[in-house]
Amino acid sequence: MVQVLENYFSEVGKHNLLSRSEEVELAKAIEAGDQRARDRMIQANLRLAISIAKNFRDKGCSFEDLIQESNIGLIRAVDRFDWRKGFKFSTYAVWWIRQAVQSHVAGQSGAIKMPTSARAVMYKAYKFREEYLEAFKCEPTPEEVAAAVGIPVETLKAIRKSGAPQISLDRPISKDDSGSRTFAEIVGGLDERDPGDEMDKVVIRDTLIAALKALSSREEKIIRLRFGLSEDIADHINFPITNKERKELIKRGAK
Amino acid sequence: MSMPKGFKADNGYATVGERGGKGYREIAEIMTVDGFPMKHSAARNYFLSGMRKLAAPICEMHGLSKDEVDRIALDPRFQESIADIIEEEGILL
Repeated sequence: MVQVLENYFSEVGKHNLLSRSEEVELAKAIEAGDQRARDRMIQANLRLAISIAKNFRDKGCSFEDLIQESNIGLIRAVDRFDWRKGFKFSTYAVWWIRQAVQSHVAGQSGAIKMPTSARAVMYKAYKFREEYLEAFKCEPTPEEVAAAVGIPVETLKAIRKSGAPQISLDRPISKDDSGSRTFAEIVGGLDERDPGDEMDKVVIRDTLIAALKALSSREEKIIRLRFGLSEDIADHINFPITNKERKELIKRGAK
Repeated sequence: MSMPKGFKADNGYATVGERGGKGYREIAEIMTVDGFPMKHSAARNYFLSGMRKLAAPICEMHGLSKDEVDRIALDPRFQESIADIIEEEGILL
């Protein structure tokens, strides 16, 4: 991918920059429908698009995508440039290119792609909160924000939830950790049990089983009755009685 | 052995009724019918004797002194935990 970029940069560098008069000439030709003039205008400003894309490299998007988006912004600027207003093309194009890249970054930087309308709501809610904080020195309630933005509270909550930042499980816990431990190593699943608790349970279970064997049949039966644990009266294998108790039962005439 | 003063007020009894368990008088009646005549107090003594036998190794495991065995055996939270473990783990008595 690096080689592809290098080739692209070298290709872009071959196109000469335009003088002010050349820009006006090309803009006039574009207005007249000259496709070659349009291509020349775009090619001559590709370096501007790259330079703006470079400013967004740390926003979580690939550089190739950023360049592509800034080129789309550049094309839009070429199509809308009005030479009669007397500005340099780069002054006008910077805004279109930046807008295209920013829009792409906002939509792609998270794991969840948010639609433009949802992002607009987020921005409105953010602006409202800023103003509210300044005016009342306290946080607005979700109901107030939803009313100000003009959407139901549930929708606002859902948009906020999906707009929350995501953290990769493969990301190191801290920069000082030299990448040895990641979030995946310390974050447990929702249905996972704590291994320490599980081990305690096993040890307690074994201890309990050993202790239960020490109970007399009378104690065992009373504990079962007390706890409501049912017993199969015919099951003399799992619920045996001692010989002494059997003799006692026979003596008392019980079956 | 009587319950320490104020213990019941602080800890209550184990909630045996919710899990279908019986009171000591009912237990005494059942045991009497089965050929082991006893009063409710004897049923309770048998029950606590069993609890002491279960509490002893667990106290030992956690490094608690023998003096603690009675306190643990009487504790309704311990009694309920034992019932839960026996039920959850399907331990046959």
